[in-house]
Amino acid sequence: MQAWFEKVAKMFDAAFISGDRWKLYLSGLGITLEVAFFAAILGMIIGTVLAFMKLSVRRNGKKTILTVIANIYIDVIRGTPSVLQLMIMWFIIFSNAKNGVLVAILSFGVNSGAYVAEIVRAGILAVDKGQMEAGRSLGLSKAQTMISVIIPQAVKNVLPPIGNEFIVLLKETAIVGYVSLTDLTRAANQIASRTYEPFMPLIGAAVIYFVVIKILTILLGILERRLRKSDNR
Amino acid sequence: MIIVKDLHKTFEDNHVLRGINYHVRQGEKIVVIGPSGSGKSTFLRCLNLLETPTSGEIWFDGINITDPKTDIDKVREHMGMVFQNFNLFNNLTIMQNITLAPVKLKVMGKEEAGENALKLLERVGLKEKADAYPSQLSGGQKQRVAIVRSLAMNPRVMLFDEPTSALDPEMVGEVLDVMKGLADSGMTMVVVTHEMGFAREVGTRVLFMDEGVIMEENTPQEFFNHPKSQRLQDFLSKVL
Repeated sequence: MQAWFEKVAKMFDAAFISGDRWKLYLSGLGITLEVAFFAAILGMIIGTVLAFMKLSVRRNGKKTILTVIANIYIDVIRGTPSVLQLMIMWFIIFSNAKNGVLVAILSFGVNSGAYVAEIVRAGILAVDKGQMEAGRSLGLSKAQTMISVIIPQAVKNVLPPIGNEFIVLLKETAIVGYVSLTDLTRAANQIASRTYEPFMPLIGAAVIYFVVIKILTILLGILERRLRKSDNR
Repeated sequence: MIIVKDLHKTFEDNHVLRGINYHVRQGEKIVVIGPSGSGKSTFLRCLNLLETPTSGEIWFDGINITDPKTDIDKVREHMGMVFQNFNLFNNLTIMQNITLAPVKLKVMGKEEAGENALKLLERVGLKEKADAYPSQLSGGQKQRVAIVRSLAMNPRVMLFDEPTSALDPEMVGEVLDVMKGLADSGMTMVVVTHEMGFAREVGTRVLFMDEGVIMEENTPQEFFNHPKSQRLQDFLSKVL
């Protein structure tokens, strides 16, 4: 028993303490959060724009050119692996770029936007048609009704799936090692290969991801409850 | 006030309205009845262009509202509409529901709109619900608020699309009472309904629609006591 504890303590020391290795996890986590946070914002912006492009219809009910463009974007992004998209961005499109973080943010933002677009579109479509009709019947324009009535209700609809998308995105960033960024996953991997003891670094990184996502989930839950105050039935 | 000329409406290959001609005069209470699928709701929704007519013209106070150049939002400010499913804005309180349009469209200032809303709510007995959300109201209360919301824009005509059809029976009366009060105040109204009692009591003219046309039109007295067409006789014998 004693020996077992000593072994674990030694592994722990090698993985986290000696050589101030905990700092590597911390800076790795910093990269992970930085990429995920800004990519999420970029994804929200791109996704919202795409959603409205997809929802645009002409008077005769036919698709607009905007809808066609949005559809192509979504098809291409969803139809290819995000690792490949990241590598194409890094090695081909921005092959002269110095800042890997920026390229990663751009790549994940562009990727997430395609998924967010469908979430936002579904959220808007889920708002009862009568809400728009009531707004229009009062003399409000389509845009005014959208802003005051439809979007606030759509935000409530999309919050759970958007939260889901954020979580997926955060974990997806574990592939930024491909463009030589040292995020949490890569930091753990580097330490594992240095100490020849993969257990502690990998499990440690997993625990850190888990805790971060758990906190994110709690925050989203609070936000959701706050937004639901208008439908206490 | 509203003149409808040879109005047609087609959904895909379904010819719903097949040539409607009618003239609604100031102060009239037009009640539209007819079997389901007869086009009466579509007719009503064409009057404020919630449905775009396939052909024909609609004139409102001397303006051709079917002309694409007409600013329909401006026209709708003067035409209130009450829906079967209330369609209160779920994300807003009752007060916000009522004041949203007058304030956004700069018909009134925020304060004036608020005072006006309270006055209107008092008239329908719902002043204490001003800060509630629609989900906290009963069907009858929702519909009374919906009427108030339309009235807050000071419309010149009110359109009612089966306003009591989605209500529990015991709530129909409270909504009809509000509508009667509105009729007594001189409001021009076009009402699509299945409430024959209301048609008889409040209507100045009653229309019978079937298969996309106005089949018969008369004063309530004549309409119910001496229906001319066979179709109307059959219909009335079923619903009365």
